[in-house]
Amino acid sequence: MTAAAIDWGQLFELVWAGALAGVGVAVAFAALILGATRAADHRRAERGRVASAYIVLGAVAAFAFAGSVVFGVWVIVSK
Amino acid sequence: MSSDVVLVIVVATALAFDFTNGFHDTANAIATSVSTRAMSPRFAVLLSAVLNFAGAFISLEVAATVGQGIVESDAVTTTVVFAGLVGAIAWNLATWYFGLPSSSSHALIGGLVGAAFAASGASAIQGDGLVEKVILPGIVAPILAFTVAGIAILVAYRIVGRLRPGPVNRAYRLGQLVSGSMFSLAHGTNDAQKTMGIITLALIAHGDLSSTNFEVPTWVVVSSAAAIALGTYTGGWRIIRTVGSRIIKMDPAQGFSAQGSGAAVVLAATHLGYPLSTTHVISGGVMGAGAATRLSAVRWGVAGNIAIAWVLTLPAAALIGALAYGFSSIFGSGALGPLVVSLSILGVTLAFFGRRVARGQVLTADA
Repeated sequence: MTAAAIDWGQLFELVWAGALAGVGVAVAFAALILGATRAADHRRAERGRVASAYIVLGAVAAFAFAGSVVFGVWVIVSK
Repeated sequence: MSSDVVLVIVVATALAFDFTNGFHDTANAIATSVSTRAMSPRFAVLLSAVLNFAGAFISLEVAATVGQGIVESDAVTTTVVFAGLVGAIAWNLATWYFGLPSSSSHALIGGLVGAAFAASGASAIQGDGLVEKVILPGIVAPILAFTVAGIAILVAYRIVGRLRPGPVNRAYRLGQLVSGSMFSLAHGTNDAQKTMGIITLALIAHGDLSSTNFEVPTWVVVSSAAAIALGTYTGGWRIIRTVGSRIIKMDPAQGFSAQGSGAAVVLAATHLGYPLSTTHVISGGVMGAGAATRLSAVRWGVAGNIAIAWVLTLPAAALIGALAYGFSSIFGSGALGPLVVSLSILGVTLAFFGRRVARGQVLTADA
């Protein structure tokens, strides 16, 4: 049981990649909710431009979230 | 004839382990979804069972790696595999009884290590492999998941904190359908294959398959997938209750942060060739999602019990595996030893669960 047995480089990569993936998924989904909710509110208040901006935000976030799901399935299938 | 009986016992024990793995680890995938009411308990276990079943068919790469780099391959006999499985099943049942989430994979490795140690001594164990593949991931997984889920929930609250709670909660519940499904699929792919690998190793040791061409027979894939799915559908409600509501009382955003960021961490780690325990990740994630909002939101007594169970998993399963091997060896190297051990365990288990059922206090989907 020695420290030499540990691949510290891979461990460091795991930490930052895991953190990036985990926080990234949470941010993407929260942005999706923000975009969808605010877009609906502004559309009801007839503020078309602001609503459109939130629709774009929601769409980008939805794309990012869907991308992370597809990547996850790819990881599962390809291992 | 004797080796045929041992093979049948090993296959039956491996499928029994797969079943306990299913109902023990169901909690990982669905506990947060159930506690935030993203899914009904019955629907959650059904979805998880179907995805565990499907996951078992996706890839067979993990099946070839069971015990590799941890136990010397020439120390692995059918009796060692049998005793290792006994150690893993016993630890799974003990932790399930106390409602503690612990890693079934670590229990299986612990059982194999203990049985191999009892059979061939310390030279059969590869210490560096044990550190790299079991101990280090066991330390990293909960700490990483705790930190990531904590940051994730703080960022999520920052983004959606000023929105109306109704739509936000509904959206996070929908999100949990996706994150719970990903967890179940990943679990089925990983854990059902460990049983397939064990059965295939036993078939190779018995001479039914060639050791030069590791190919898992179709009946092994189907039976392993069915056993883990059946175990999942049975549902380990005690552990579901612990992970879902005894560590923290969570809202849908916390549930999604723990589960979604947990699934992302597990899959990112798998992609880098560093498989982490789903049990450690989701438990650490739930604690992190609670502690980030308020430290006192986490019931640290429950969290401490879970941590103790994690630390004990490897040595306890190893001790039981070694005892099972030692007891089995008293009856010689034939089938009598495994047969006596199997019947003894079956008798004790039936007597215990018979008493529990008679008392009518078994936790179910409704309780």
